[in-house]
Amino acid sequence: MIEVRNLSKNYGDRPAIQGLNFSVRKGEVVGFLGPNGAGKSTTMKIITGYMAPSSGEVKVAGFDVFEDPIEVKRRIGYLPESPPVYHDMYVRDYLNFVANLKGVEKNRVKSLVDSALEKTSLTDVRGRLIGNLSKGYKQRVGLAQALVSDPEILVLDEPTVGLDPKQVAEMRQLIRRLKGQHTIILSTHILPEVQASCEKVIIINRGRIVAEDSLDGLARRMSGGGHSVTVRVRRNQDAMAKALGGQLGVVRVANAGNFIEIETDGEEETIERVAGFLVSQGAGLLELRVQSLALEDIFIKLTSSETVLQ
Amino acid sequence: MRAILTLAGKDLRNLLSSPLFYVIAGLCSVLWSYSYMRNLLEFAEQSRVYMQPGMETGMNLQRAVFLAHISQINLLYVFVVPALTMRLLAEEKRLRTYDLLLTSPISATHIALGKFLAGFGAVSVLTLISLIYPLATRLVAEYPMGPLFAAYLGVLLVAGAYVAVGLFASSLTESVLLSVVLGLIFNILLWFLSQGASGSGTMISSVLEYMSLGQHFLNFIMGAVKLNSLVFLLSLIGVFVFLTQRVVESSRWR
Repeated sequence: MIEVRNLSKNYGDRPAIQGLNFSVRKGEVVGFLGPNGAGKSTTMKIITGYMAPSSGEVKVAGFDVFEDPIEVKRRIGYLPESPPVYHDMYVRDYLNFVANLKGVEKNRVKSLVDSALEKTSLTDVRGRLIGNLSKGYKQRVGLAQALVSDPEILVLDEPTVGLDPKQVAEMRQLIRRLKGQHTIILSTHILPEVQASCEKVIIINRGRIVAEDSLDGLARRMSGGGHSVTVRVRRNQDAMAKALGGQLGVVRVANAGNFIEIETDGEEETIERVAGFLVSQGAGLLELRVQSLALEDIFIKLTSSETVLQ
Repeated sequence: MRAILTLAGKDLRNLLSSPLFYVIAGLCSVLWSYSYMRNLLEFAEQSRVYMQPGMETGMNLQRAVFLAHISQINLLYVFVVPALTMRLLAEEKRLRTYDLLLTSPISATHIALGKFLAGFGAVSVLTLISLIYPLATRLVAEYPMGPLFAAYLGVLLVAGAYVAVGLFASSLTESVLLSVVLGLIFNILLWFLSQGASGSGTMISSVLEYMSLGQHFLNFIMGAVKLNSLVFLLSLIGVFVFLTQRVVESSRWR
């Protein structure tokens, strides 16, 4: 559905993205993950035909974004970082306007507007001025705007940024419901968002792709089945942290405030050894929590080092 | 075409329902009412004098009253039109709704034309208000309609040029304030060009005379629809709409 080849974009002489390659198949929900300033929005803007790249090509549904921008734009619904809503318009009028602008056939405008209102649960506020709606509602109007032409592809740029936790949950639920009806690309710097909604994840850092895989595959490959162990002790935390580094099977130890965070090779014996060591040293073990390496750790690992995996 | 009309319709509705338009229309009517009344009464007074037996009635409503009225409309438009057009593109950029336009399946030409039509529509409404005065005069005096409509065609074309200039100014910046100031400066520059025409018969001054907005406008006011004036004003509109289209298109490349 979407093919990106050697995509680069420079702002002046500052490269925003360099040599991106990835593809998205029909019906997939792809999370585009990266820290702020990694080049997520730039990539999205290029895919939607908003701006041209410095080099490389993007094909959407077989159409080149620069040869046939109109055909590409017809197939994409785009929710930019800040929802592109007119504050002095009514929700319904606004969606009508967008539907007409996107060239929806006249006899389908009404039904598509209604279904967009329905999908985003905006039916109750359809007669209100957008400027008077809360941030969460405005975001939903933005999403309804992306949906209103019933596009094959949805490009959502940080759809939950700036929302309160309840609104975030609602927005994620909404995106999950859209799964299967559209091919979705979702950019975010928030990890649980990817875990909540996506099947595939592309991690981007400083303008380059550092990982591209399914969620499970990524977790498996990156952690090597490792565990992350969090330990709290009563005494000698600093000394214990140092000493734990020498234990067999311990990969990394970090002294983080009230806790010691340990990364292990994933063997249960290692955890047993760590616990035994702390008890035998009389450090006063208060708490020991074991988790398999989470996406968050993988993300930090990938974006803080220069390792590139494809 | 549908994209252009959709865009134009939205912006025109927006303009006509904005407090700004009401303030402008209100202030313009107050000014017009005052000066039109005065000119008309003066004309009536003078024509009574000329009506004395043995006097030639060289008086002409078009020249004596409408000319002043239309010059005043023009003067007001130089300042008022940039205020009406300032938000057309600058505000879209500021509110990030520009993203919506640029990712919709419409071309930069559609955007420029749609925006131009919206601005032109709003100014046309204002022009219709100003047409009430000469039309109402028909209740008390007979005069030929032809020259009046020629003059109003001129007003519409010049107003169209101001709209195109204002739209271009609005496309250059994100700041609404800067947009209105730029539009004003461009409009005044257009009139300064005609000042150069009044020099002695050098080549430059005769070229400037062809490019003089004032000269062409005057033809219309005097009731003459000249082809070169028509072409000049239409091209002026075309050039600035085209420049706007280039600026909109260029945002893809930056």
